[in-house]
Formats: sequence, C-alpha cells, structure tokens
Amino acid sequence: MNIIKLIILSSIVVLYSNFVISRGIGETEITTDDGIEVFQNEKYYLLKKNVKITSDDFEISADIIKANFDTDLYDITLLETEGTSNLNAIKYGITGKGDEIDINIKSEEIIVRGKNSYLNLQKTRMNTDGSIKVNNSLQTFELIGDNSNLQNDDLNIYGEYISGSFSELNGEKQINKLNVEDDNLLNINTAQLQMYSQKAIYDDQTNIIELFSKVKIVKGQEIITGDYGYFDTVKNSYKVKSDNTSKVKVTIKKTNE
Amino acid sequence: MFIFIIFLIILIFIFFTFNFINNGKPILKVVDITANKSDIVRPKFSISGKKSQIFITAKNGNFISEEKILLENNVKFKSKEFQLESDNVIFDRKNLIATSENKSKFLSKNTSIISAGFDITENGNIINFKGQTILIFK
Repeated sequence: MNIIKLIILSSIVVLYSNFVISRGIGETEITTDDGIEVFQNEKYYLLKKNVKITSDDFEISADIIKANFDTDLYDITLLETEGTSNLNAIKYGITGKGDEIDINIKSEEIIVRGKNSYLNLQKTRMNTDGSIKVNNSLQTFELIGDNSNLQNDDLNIYGEYISGSFSELNGEKQINKLNVEDDNLLNINTAQLQMYSQKAIYDDQTNIIELFSKVKIVKGQEIITGDYGYFDTVKNSYKVKSDNTSKVKVTIKKTNE
Repeated sequence: MFIFIIFLIILIFIFFTFNFINNGKPILKVVDITANKSDIVRPKFSISGKKSQIFITAKNGNFISEEKILLENNVKFKSKEFQLESDNVIFDRKNLIATSENKSKFLSKNTSIISAGFDITENGNIINFKGQTILIFK
C-alpha cells in the first residue's frame, strides 16, 4: 500500500510542478484561464476568463480585467473589471463586489457598479444597484442609483444619491460630511429616530443632521411632519419647522397597551 | 482488480512524467526532423515594430509552406523591452505573425509570464498569451 501512496504522491508532485509557479513576498501574481492579450502601443492588456490578482495588500477576481499601464507591464495605472468582480484590499480595510470595478491606482479611486453591488470601508457598509465611488486620496464617497444604502454603527441611510467625505483618525475612517438626496424621500435611521425628507445634510463640526422638504421625523409613537427639520446627534434632540404655506403637524399613534 | 488499479496508476504516472520531461512538448510533432536535416540551421528573422525591432532566433527551422516556417528548439523573440522563449513556433514571414501552441516564457523588467502558447501579430504590437497563464510582477 505504501508503494501505491508513493506513486500517487509522485504523480501529484510532477503534475503540480509542471504547471505552477508560486508568488513570493512582495510580488503580485495574476492567473487567467484564457490568457493575456498585450497591446503594447495602446499600453493596456486584457486578462481573460476567471482572472485572479493576488498581492500582499489586495486580491481581485473577475471574469475579465483590462489593465492600463504606464511604461512597463507592472506599472499599472488603472484596472477595469467586468463580470462578477470581487475586491479585497486587506491593507486598506476595503472589500467590494459588483458587476464592474474600476481601480485607479494613481488617483486612489475605486468605482463599483451593478445590481446588488457593495463596498465596505472598514465599518462603513455601502450598497447600491447603481454605482459606488470612493476616493481614498480625496477622502470622498458617492453612491448613485436605486437601493443605495450607507450603514455604520450610528446611522442607516437610504437614498438615491448619497455623498460625503471621511477622515482617518488612528487608522479608523469616520464620516464627517454627508449629503443625501431622494425625490421619493430619503430615510435616515438612528437608534431612536427615523427621519424622512427629500434632502439631508450632516456635518460632524455641528453634529447636526438637517432635513429639507417633505420632512417627517418618527420617534416611537410620535410623528412630526414639516418643511424643515434638524436632529442634534449629541444632544439627541430634534426640531421641525414649516414655511408660511403649511404647518407643523404632530401625530401620536395610539397603542393597545 | 487490485492489479488493474496499480497498472492504471503506473500508466498515469509514466504519462505525466514523460510529459514533464519533455517540458510540454507535444508527443506527436507536426514535423519531426532532426537537427542535421533542417531546412534552415540557426534561422534568424526580425519583426520591425512601431517602437523597436523584435529579433527571432532558433536552433532549427523547417518550411511547412512557402511563407510559414516551423521554428524548433530554443526559439527566442528578443526586443529592447522583452524576451519570449518557446520550443515550437510557426512564423509567417509574409504577414509577420508568430504562433506557438507550446509552453512559453515571457520575461521583461520585473515581469514574467508563463502561458500555454502565444500569438504575435500586428508587427509585434499585440502579444496574445494563450490558455492558462500566470503573470508575476516583482
């Protein structure tokens, strides 16, 4: 039986050594099932079918990847993926999935597109059926499209357009500005409140979320509607105002208790 | 039954070992000509690209048509930017197209590519590495 085991093991080793070269520390490895087409004058190459890019800092997989380069093949400036695309940038705490992912190495910008696509920026989770753009250099983000949602430990936001900026403190990325817009009403949820309006802005300098147009704030059994509202995230207080043409309306739901 | 399984395993082992020793060369060659019977000994060609020339060398070359030559053994494509090696390459002198279905190794600055073959077209502008391919950047 030992001889049989030896033969099987030898066969595996011979087979494996015939096809595989392995990546060393600091190296980037790209594997494809259907080759690489290099366009030297145009300075790009196409990685075809079941593409996997692995380095110390990140992993990318997709059906097809177009890599634009500057001088040499390794000098990649832009990666554009097609098909089911996954990104795991371990070093930066970024994970993402979508039909397409663009990674601009020079500008440090990542764009994820497609239905049910997502991009996680450490504890901030972004989902959409449209597109998500994060620029690590400018420290900005933008979600456009149906079912766009941004979540972190404090906020859960739904809106057709969500943009903002973040800052990094001790390696942790924190949102410091937010702009949310949705003609069909955006929704911002905190632990205590649900807020609805057509536009909302947040600034961490004031710690206030301002709500504009068709405002509705729900707190427990209390519903307040108006044209403008704000929520102080530190004091946990809120206020709703109305313009001259309408009035603030307060509704208290009845419960069976 | 037991003997049959052992026989089968030995047969698979011999097949892959033979394939490994031949370094991916096909068992059945299109043209099987020994070195001293080659049409061309140590053939040399070049492809003039837009930016630089690609020089092609091999140990043997055999005409398979008026325009196509089968380059065999230690076939090298060298330019300022890269070196590409394979053992069997068909080179079309008229259209300046090179094709290989054999294991190929590409080397350039900080870059190595191993593929199951390649095509070089458009005066060396396009290199298509075929089949399962591994690219490593240092």
